[in-house]
Amino acid sequence: GKVPAGSILASAPSNKNLDAWRESGCRTTHCNLEVLQESTLVFLATKPHVLPGVLQEIRPAVGPHHIIVSVAAGVTLQTLQRLLPAGTKVLRLMPNLPCVVQAGAMVFARGSGAGDGEAALLKNLLSSCGLCEEVPESYINIHTGLSGSGVAYVYLFAEALAEGAVKMGMPGSLASRIAAQTLLGAAKMMLESGEHPAKLRGDVCTPGGTTIHALHQLEKGALRATVMNAVEAATNRACDMAKD
Amino acid sequence: AGVLAAHKITASSPDTDLPTVSGLRKMGLNFTVSNKDTVKSSDVLFLAVKPPIIPFILEEVGPDIEARHIVVSCAAGVTISSIEKKLSTFCPTPKVIRCMTNTPVIVREGATVYATGTHADVEDGKLVEQLMASVGFCTEVEEDLIDAVTGLSGSGPAYAFTALDALADGGVKMGLPRRLAVRLGAQALLGAAKMLLESEQHPGQLKDNVCSPGGATIHALHFLESGGFRSLLINAVEASCIRTRELQHLADQEKISPAAIKKTLLDKVKLESPSLSVASASKVSLFTNKSPSS
Repeated sequence: GKVPAGSILASAPSNKNLDAWRESGCRTTHCNLEVLQESTLVFLATKPHVLPGVLQEIRPAVGPHHIIVSVAAGVTLQTLQRLLPAGTKVLRLMPNLPCVVQAGAMVFARGSGAGDGEAALLKNLLSSCGLCEEVPESYINIHTGLSGSGVAYVYLFAEALAEGAVKMGMPGSLASRIAAQTLLGAAKMMLESGEHPAKLRGDVCTPGGTTIHALHQLEKGALRATVMNAVEAATNRACDMAKD
Repeated sequence: AGVLAAHKITASSPDTDLPTVSGLRKMGLNFTVSNKDTVKSSDVLFLAVKPPIIPFILEEVGPDIEARHIVVSCAAGVTISSIEKKLSTFCPTPKVIRCMTNTPVIVREGATVYATGTHADVEDGKLVEQLMASVGFCTEVEEDLIDAVTGLSGSGPAYAFTALDALADGGVKMGLPRRLAVRLGAQALLGAAKMLLESEQHPGQLKDNVCSPGGATIHALHFLESGGFRSLLINAVEASCIRTRELQHLADQEKISPAAIKKTLLDKVKLESPSLSVASASKVSLFTNKSPSS
């Protein structure tokens, strides 16, 4: 809600995806160059392998006033800067899926041509979609492993929680909704209290109670190490893919 | 440990050849071979014998127990009610306190808990607390928690020794001389424990403080997690606690006559070499407290 829809211009080769934009009140076009001509802040949201081609196409129209933000996974600032005019203000953004419900986790890194003003603008704009932090570029792949892919880990965990409940006799759809709310609530407490998760965990564990019994099962299954392995695997894969 | 003058303490043992005995004598304690004499001249009685021997000791000294006596048992798994039951045939309102301590009392860093019996007053508990606080941490608990305490801090030093042995192996593997590795490992655990005790922070937070991003420590911790380190420790505490309960249950059910056990056990006891710790001394050590120290 920070920018009026009428100020947003979206471009795509076909109408397939543009309908959604139009419905929100944005203007649409099939011409990438038109976007560059009409806009200052430009988001490049193509698939990574398509991006180099698009950059070639728009390069002649890119000027010193433009702010180019790439969302393409694995395409480095170095690559972006190489394919655009020297000194172009370039930033690289990695969002995650829950941006669509304004509860995203986003990180961005700035290229050599981008200054504090551009970083502040981006952060300000994107904060309406969730958490947005500037980071060194090296953290972007880690963010992928933690939060980009991380969303899937949470879905898996939620599914397993619900299945446990179903096993114990609860209907699936109710179990699913409660599982999701549990995760939401716990996350909210963690964000709002600022307390260490270990402390919050301890606070829930009454001596000899149900929670500590359950946690013991999780520790027996080396859940922590498994999760660390997952983040590591996704991060490494992101690094590998970036090299391709 | 400086709370009580040595001459106010009497120790009793049937076997005078033991190293414990000469050690105690050297400290200036009064020594006797008669449990009965000890009881007569003392106010606070610490029973530091192995659990199966408790019944005989109680039989033996029972007649001399008076209302003023505070009987403190350190025997694992021996309940307050079992002691009170035994003594009540001799004294209507025996003051009984049960404690669970651990071996580091030797270096005044013990962890002790105590539970007060039916007829023990608040002051009696406080007295025991004062005595045991001189050799480490001491606090009162409900008796039903003593098994859990056994699992955690009673057995705990053994877990720590095992960990230290392994840490030292790690150090040696990576090139350190053994002695230095042991010294450094022990100091690391000592320092960490001290930081935790003196800090308001959660151990998880303290752990985080040591783990710089992508650094050595977090790599190492990942290994610990992969091995299920945490669950192993939880398992250990649980197993020790459960076993304590089992042993207690077995002891409660014991129907063999004391006399029959006595002979076999006393023979066995003479062959064992006792350590100086309160928890595992195989003789009765009784401490006097003619006037409580201020």
